[in-house]
Amino acid sequence: MADIGMPKARVLVVDDSSLVRLYYRSALEQAGFVVEQAINGIEAMERVLSESFDLVIVDVNMPRMDGFTFLRSLRSSATDVAMLPTLMISTEAGLEDVAEARRAGANFYLVKPVAQTELVRHVSVLTGAAM
Amino acid sequence: MDDAKGGASYAVHISPEDVQRFCEFLYRRTGLSFTEGKRYFIDRRLEDRIAATGSSSFQAYFSLLRADADHEIEHLINSFTVNETYFYREEHQLRCMTSSLLDVIASHKEPGGTVRIWSVPCSTGEEPYSIALWLMENWPQVDSYNIEIVGSDIDTRALKAAAEGIYGDRALMRLSPDLIDRYFRFVAEGRHQIDDGLRNSIEFTRVNLIDSRDMALHRDFDLIFCRNVLIYFDDASRRQAAENLYGCLRPGGYICLGHSESMSRISPLFRVARFPDAIVYQRPETDHG
Repeated sequence: MADIGMPKARVLVVDDSSLVRLYYRSALEQAGFVVEQAINGIEAMERVLSESFDLVIVDVNMPRMDGFTFLRSLRSSATDVAMLPTLMISTEAGLEDVAEARRAGANFYLVKPVAQTELVRHVSVLTGAAM
Repeated sequence: MDDAKGGASYAVHISPEDVQRFCEFLYRRTGLSFTEGKRYFIDRRLEDRIAATGSSSFQAYFSLLRADADHEIEHLINSFTVNETYFYREEHQLRCMTSSLLDVIASHKEPGGTVRIWSVPCSTGEEPYSIALWLMENWPQVDSYNIEIVGSDIDTRALKAAAEGIYGDRALMRLSPDLIDRYFRFVAEGRHQIDDGLRNSIEFTRVNLIDSRDMALHRDFDLIFCRNVLIYFDDASRRQAAENLYGCLRPGGYICLGHSESMSRISPLFRVARFPDAIVYQRPETDHG
């Protein structure tokens, strides 16, 4: 990642816990990604509609707008953002939760806890940054 | 970490010239070197010593100091060295938190549940920030729980400095260059500001440990760090503080004291919990447990 001359992939991390956002951000920035943050689905929608991202990492349980609702809003958007790759990360490990995430439009689903190395590996694949 | 003493606060005026005279004297007599950049640190220690010696002004205290009355120079040096805090102080307790305590605490919660940790007194913030850093570096389940860290102190100036999060090289001496690089921003020579994300992760509040009303606003903690403050109280205040802290813990929650402190000598409310890295105290699951 972060080869000279290559634009850095921009990742939006959406989680209501500032410590979790920092934990993910720290890992991704070290790997060369540019990281922006949002604290719920509403703020995330505003960000993706006004800025360009290569991937959105989104938690499920958040106040005001949860991760599923965000994904459905994103996928039903009339613009190109409807195609934005998404990685859902949740504490819920049930098959029904994974199925729900898929129906809502998540490209990939990880169950917390997610180690920093594991996160970087998946984000690299989903942004096409992996060699 | 003597910042939550329940005593009166002393409003002695200390001018920049006083600080300069004092620093020159301190350097000549002890070799300890402090500059204007450490003003907050110097003022706190000076005020403590002025109060402890019953001096009515800086000038009165400075005369006493120069005469070395009652070994005041030694007392002064102690206050400038022993009480200086830094990141990752008492690392064995941080290790105990991530290798033992949090796993027990988390086993009683659903994933995604809230874990509340309290640093009191938090002084200028080194301890609560250390807890957050240590968790991210050492607890694999850090993203599985909603972790709330609160830092509290009786001193609003300390809290202001904590929220600002700017530290000198000495406070960071135990952190690896990699950690400093990732979580601090260079602001001036020898001055580093902690990452905005970390600053936003900690809630800072004012609290007096022996004030039941203050303490009633701080509830449901799973883990409390209350280090090197109870030793400054008299017996009655110490018992009061211990009872207040008990009320701030969830049943089953833990409290870590300083290495020279023992809750068993203060209050029978807690039970001793021995872990490989540290001895801590626990509020029993039931009040008769």
